[in-house]
Amino acid sequence: MTTRDAAVRIKGVSHQFGEAGETQYVRALADTSLDIARGELLCLIGPSGCGKSTLLNVIGGLMAPTGGNVEVAGKPVRGPMPQDIAFVFQENALFPWNTVLENVRLGMLFQGVPKSEHEARAKLSLEAVGLVEFANHYPSQLSGGMRQRAALARALSLKTDILLMDEPFGALDEQTRMILGEDLSVLLSRTEKTIVFVTHSLGEAVFLADRVAVFSARPGAIKKIIRVDEPHPRKPEFITSKKFAALRNELYALLHDEIRKTVAESARAPEGS
Amino acid sequence: MSFSARPYLLRHPGVVRLGVVVLMLIVWEIAARWFIDPLFISPPSRVLLSLGAVWQTSGVPAALRLTLFELATAFAIAVVIGLTVGLAVGLQPFARRSLMPIILLLYGLPQITILPLFILYFGIGAASKIAFGVTHGMFPIVIAIVAGVQNLKPILLVSARSMGASRWQILRWVIFPHMIPSFFAGMRLGMSGALLGVLLAELYVSTAGIGHFTTMFTENFDPTKLFGLVAMLAAMAIVLNEIVRRAETRFSRWR
Amino acid sequence: MARRNERAAGIGSRAVQIGFLLGILVLWYLATNRWGVNRLLLPNPIAVWQQLLDVLKSGEYLPDLRITLTELAAAFALSLTFGTIVGYFVSRTGYTIRVFEPLFAGIYSIPIILFLPLYVLFFGLGPESKIALGATISFFPIVLSTIAGFGNVDRTLVTAAKSMGASDYQLFRYVLVPAALPVILSGLRMGFTIALLAIIGSEVIASLAGLGHHIVQLAEGMDMARMFAYIAFVVAIAALLNSVVSFLEARGRRWT
Repeated sequence: MTTRDAAVRIKGVSHQFGEAGETQYVRALADTSLDIARGELLCLIGPSGCGKSTLLNVIGGLMAPTGGNVEVAGKPVRGPMPQDIAFVFQENALFPWNTVLENVRLGMLFQGVPKSEHEARAKLSLEAVGLVEFANHYPSQLSGGMRQRAALARALSLKTDILLMDEPFGALDEQTRMILGEDLSVLLSRTEKTIVFVTHSLGEAVFLADRVAVFSARPGAIKKIIRVDEPHPRKPEFITSKKFAALRNELYALLHDEIRKTVAESARAPEGS
Repeated sequence: MSFSARPYLLRHPGVVRLGVVVLMLIVWEIAARWFIDPLFISPPSRVLLSLGAVWQTSGVPAALRLTLFELATAFAIAVVIGLTVGLAVGLQPFARRSLMPIILLLYGLPQITILPLFILYFGIGAASKIAFGVTHGMFPIVIAIVAGVQNLKPILLVSARSMGASRWQILRWVIFPHMIPSFFAGMRLGMSGALLGVLLAELYVSTAGIGHFTTMFTENFDPTKLFGLVAMLAAMAIVLNEIVRRAETRFSRWR
Repeated sequence: MARRNERAAGIGSRAVQIGFLLGILVLWYLATNRWGVNRLLLPNPIAVWQQLLDVLKSGEYLPDLRITLTELAAAFALSLTFGTIVGYFVSRTGYTIRVFEPLFAGIYSIPIILFLPLYVLFFGLGPESKIALGATISFFPIVLSTIAGFGNVDRTLVTAAKSMGASDYQLFRYVLVPAALPVILSGLRMGFTIALLAIIGSEVIASLAGLGHHIVQLAEGMDMARMFAYIAFVVAIAALLNSVVSFLEARGRRWT
């Protein structure tokens, strides 16, 4: 993996909201540096408010960091890079007035894909996520899991090298998460995409990731990076294996104190978290 | 320590809003002074200075008092009718099902079309103004009260009854307090309605109310006095609206 | 069992409604024909009906209707244009919303019909004053709902579109407009209804022509039966226009 080029270079990125001394001042992210290899799936996990979503937004060009910079595919990130980076958000990112198919096509329209390719690409990505029969349904007619599949299809159809996912299964129930996690692993084993995946779920991180970056409490910095050495696609049996349990326990041990710290912090501070 | 204007303005949109209003007044001033025939428009400076003259025009203070009296009476009657009908209809599910559609239908009619009829029936004096104010004010009150009774969660009634409350006790301790916010919301709308009704009737025909003077100032092409009078009425409307709105907020705190 | 009671209650309430309306008609008839109520106060319902048919057949309403509808169309065109454009630009930043929205809401809270004498002084008794007043009054619900519509677009939708490379125009056309449309349409419907009321109202109060004015003429001529008929006609027209507008609004909101 180290012989491949780094797809994403995060150099000394830190971020704060507001100025020191103001009431809304928050140090969201402490100095963070990391190289993400091409084709790897990196998970960012940590307690609430540790800055993992902030880091994701910085990588994707949705936010300019107050310190440091990010390079994607050798280019410095200065704004959204729709040709290189696609997002999957936690929820509410599908346009409710468009059908699933229209949503997918609209993404391609925004990115600038020639109209002649829309139909074919849309069909492929809907097949990949298993939503072909629901192409003409509206998001309100779909379950939460199906909506996220649709969001994923839209992101896939953009054929970017990098996929950023901000707690994509966060709003779903555990059983749906399990299924979607398995399907995602299968799907991604077929592509060469670089994926950065933010999650709260320990099991999800171990199941999906090649590496897991564990964040400390706010201001978040990477406490430790854990490697998950298991080939893709990950089988459901992996979850019941000893290796999985060991990794999950390691994550738990790393996170537990940070989570306690965060809860204590938010009990003290009335608002602004 | 230097005072930087932008962050201050940024934190106080109210100041900017005031600035916008001042800007509009300035535009009005310039337009009225130099661009438009003074027969039709008067600059705000002149209007402001002549407010005293308007007040001293014989009959104007009495007219304002009369209009306020018409409004107060119309509002009071509207509240009484609205409360009675609202409770009667709201508390009885069958009555509500049968009568609400009729009430809503009547509410949706353009009442202004029967204003001449009201004048024919009640004359050109205060009675017609009060009557028209009542018909405009009572509907929102009825509707608000019926809505208030309707969104009472049945579980509250069930738990009261399970604790042995009598019908009267439920009315007094559960239904009545629950309804107060809706009542005040209805009163706010009822006040606007009554004001609208009284004003419409006054503007149509009036011998001693403010409608008489608006007609007089219009026919005499006296924009200064007319603007002044209208400004006074607008101020009155704003004050009344504010009073009822504050009452509503104060009594709806538990919502 | 519960469903049978439910249905019985439904039929029962229908019966009460029909009975109520029939009762009013019967009382009206009896009052004028049997109980000697003065015909100058309450006309014979049959006479009203005959007058209504005559009005419709003679087409006497046509010039008034044309004037009122023209005033309405002009007023609504003005308020729609200015309302949506101003509303859009105010909605662009949270700051401008905080500055202007309370201003518009505050002005809207007073009965703007108060300004009718000012408009009559400036524009005269002709259609211009009605158009101006109608446009002014209906501007406010439209601008307020436009601000609310554009201002409450889910930020995630905007972020998602921008992350996919949407241009400003694409963002406006494919995200902002569809998201804001339901709220804006309901504001347009309110604006239309209010404009209609304002225009008929100003025709009643101060005008030389139009449907409202005609009612006043009939009242001054003490032609009670014909006046009642004309009132019924105007109410019917207003109801028709409002239904059409409600229907259009519902059509525009098909995806909600």
